Amino acid sequence: MSSMLKVVGKQLKNHPALIPLFIFIGGGATMSMMYLARLALKNPDVSWDRKNNPEPWNKLEHNQQYKLFAVNMDYTKLKKDRPDF
Amino acid sequence: MQARRDLPRSRAKMSETIQEKIKTYRTAPFDARFPNTNQTRNCYQNYLDFHRCNKALSSKGQDVAPCDWYQRVYKSLCPTSWVGKWDEQIENGNFPGKI
Repeated sequence: MSSMLKVVGKQLKNHPALIPLFIFIGGGATMSMMYLARLALKNPDVSWDRKNNPEPWNKLEHNQQYKLFAVNMDYTKLKKDRPDF
Repeated sequence: MQARRDLPRSRAKMSETIQEKIKTYRTAPFDARFPNTNQTRNCYQNYLDFHRCNKALSSKGQDVAPCDWYQRVYKSLCPTSWVGKWDEQIENGNFPGKI
């Protein structure tokens, strides 16, 4: 593992133009992994523990936004409209 | 709209507003729990909520009228074949959902 890193380090020293490549590829990989983690942990359709958390979407508030970008939907103006029981 | 004097004040108000909402009902409103295009779960959840509401309110001895909101919503959203199938399953006692 460390020998692989040493090889890469030598290559970078000889060809420093490769550094932006690492930055962009690394950034892209991080962003996809973070999105997958968000989906796995925060998505209200996902239930890891079905016994104690059977319907996680019911835990959302009536004006809570899960989407990252909600176009044409003003969540602050929503009112709760379902009867309690 | 007569106020329900037999209910405690908060529940009377809620049942009034729900009755008003049922009267002026046009279609299922936006539900923040189901923001995407696929509304399958919205349909199923309202069907479940209708039956759960009936069960909860009738076991407490209260009027079941507010539960009609859920019925209007699921009738707007669900395909009638699904509703028919689920109703049949409930009658036969093998509905898979938790009510």
